[in-house]
Amino acid sequence: MKVLSKAKLEAALNKLSDRNEVFVPMQKGQQSGYFTWKSFENGQDELMLDALNVYQSPKNAVLPQTEKMYSIKSQGVEVNIDQTYEDAHPTIIFGARGCDVKGIIAMDDVFLTRGYEDSFYKARRSGNTIIANACYEPGANCFCNAMEVNSLEPVGADVILRDAGDGYVWEVKSDKGEAVTALIADLLEEKEAKLPEVKPFIQKVDYSGVAEKLKSMFDHPLWDKLSQPCINCGMCTYVCPSCYCFDIQVKMWGEEGYRFRAWDSCMFEEYSREAGGGNPRGASKERFRQRFLHKLEFFKERYGTPLCTGCGRCIIVCPTDINIVRIIDAVKEAEINA
Amino acid sequence: MKEITNKVQAIAAKLFEEGKIDVFLAWEKGELNFKTKSYVARNALDVKNIVFDEYSIYNVSNSLLKFRDSHERIGIAVKGCDSRGIVRLLEDLQIKRDRLYIVGIPCPGMKDPLAAARNHGGFSKKQEEDGLAKKCLDCIQPNPVIYDELVGPEQSPRQQGDRFARVKEIEQMSADERYKFWEDTFSTCIRCYACRQVCVACDCRTCIFDEMKPQWVGRENSSTDNMMYHLVKHSHMAGRCIECGECERVCPVNIPLMLLNRKLIKDVGTLFGGPEAGMQYVEGSKPPLSVYRENDPDSFL
Repeated sequence: MKVLSKAKLEAALNKLSDRNEVFVPMQKGQQSGYFTWKSFENGQDELMLDALNVYQSPKNAVLPQTEKMYSIKSQGVEVNIDQTYEDAHPTIIFGARGCDVKGIIAMDDVFLTRGYEDSFYKARRSGNTIIANACYEPGANCFCNAMEVNSLEPVGADVILRDAGDGYVWEVKSDKGEAVTALIADLLEEKEAKLPEVKPFIQKVDYSGVAEKLKSMFDHPLWDKLSQPCINCGMCTYVCPSCYCFDIQVKMWGEEGYRFRAWDSCMFEEYSREAGGGNPRGASKERFRQRFLHKLEFFKERYGTPLCTGCGRCIIVCPTDINIVRIIDAVKEAEINA
Repeated sequence: MKEITNKVQAIAAKLFEEGKIDVFLAWEKGELNFKTKSYVARNALDVKNIVFDEYSIYNVSNSLLKFRDSHERIGIAVKGCDSRGIVRLLEDLQIKRDRLYIVGIPCPGMKDPLAAARNHGGFSKKQEEDGLAKKCLDCIQPNPVIYDELVGPEQSPRQQGDRFARVKEIEQMSADERYKFWEDTFSTCIRCYACRQVCVACDCRTCIFDEMKPQWVGRENSSTDNMMYHLVKHSHMAGRCIECGECERVCPVNIPLMLLNRKLIKDVGTLFGGPEAGMQYVEGSKPPLSVYRENDPDSFL
């Protein structure tokens, strides 16, 4: 098998960065997330490939939090598009866990299938290669196995890395994977490596039947109780590897300006506010319910898979201890009065 | 703390039984030891879930905002900082005093469930310290400032040294250095608005950042928009921040928001004097910067 020795990891990242923007999990000062390898500062930043995961997911690489779409010039009553910014520059997400790969595959469903293609997303994704990092030891809040993710064989990865102690086994999975492998071929060795033992999941989650059951639970009283502590900040949606909602806004200076999109969150009141001033999700409970129905029911109905990937980030960061695992449990246990 | 929990439960049970309250706001235990969260008890049977332990850090006064438009009579357990939040809501006429039965708990200092959750979650290679939360080490008011009943022994403030030392350091910077410092600091903001949502003093019904016509602050994750967000949000807290430290505690990207709040506390103290925000409740009183008078001596406005 092909193996990238850990001693050659930095050389490999340097080489890949010659032609690609390479996003790597790192601790960057107070920040924990995917940042470009070129921004890595020796002695200050720390590579996090051997940690379970980082707080900010790699979705930023294909759906940036703020993305310029096109610039505008108005002349009299005419408004003309000056320039569009579909960006297909080559990027590599290096070392994504299966949950985070699944987040991007779910976004592919949203932005590239069902008869509509988002040209901005399509451009970024066309230039993007995913090098996954197979996960052998689930963490305290991990439940990707229950959300149809195989952390050892992440579907959609172009290359899969397997941490074998002093090196990474390098498994090519696609043509894109072949192409990036060619860039560092001289750094890979052909040798045998012992793969780590697969550890069991600590969280036991049973999602079976939840999407179907939720169909008749829109008005169930459990939403009042579960949503009570929620303060409707957007932290869970912004650290989530699969939340993809965005808003399109404009900035104008006189005759010139540009349109951009920026992540939005179903947790915000303004998100569902309508032009006439009404809001179908005016109260906290309704916004809370929307988030979990989207994750666990609506997405499954439309795309055949849940929108939660079981990464556990929202469970860790939520200031009021909203736990999606407990919500799945509560739905399973709930009684439905016909 | 077990004793305090028992007393609070007994008080809440009595209030329910006597028909004096409809809900009681406090904390409950999650499934792990460190997971203590806000709780609404709705009847005497719920009372057994109420807990006060070393992780009861959440500022419960924030939970009152969900009840401001209702008519329920509310029992509420508060620590020192939480009680200052209640004063803020009373001053802002968000809730009426006679709807509240306040159980004050002098606070011995809390641990941070979020820090514990991070340690437990395994995303970081370094473990955070297990001691009192930073906001509790900076506490100047552990004892409730407003209550109907007090439970437990008085506590001493834990804040040591010059409370404004770091603020003074930043003040000493040149304008350019200071600009660079805040630009770097705010560059990491992901605009999740948790600092706003967790803030009891942020009680505006329509927040300026949610206004679309006109849109005062852009949604871009850029240094301009991020800085506008924070400077506007925190300036709005001048004379209102009760120093509960929740904004800084919950920030997922570790922005030192209390530094900004403390600068404003210092400036408001220098310019206006008087008690700090939420330190005492006098019916009808208003914090600085919230009164308009035609004969204002200042020509501004």
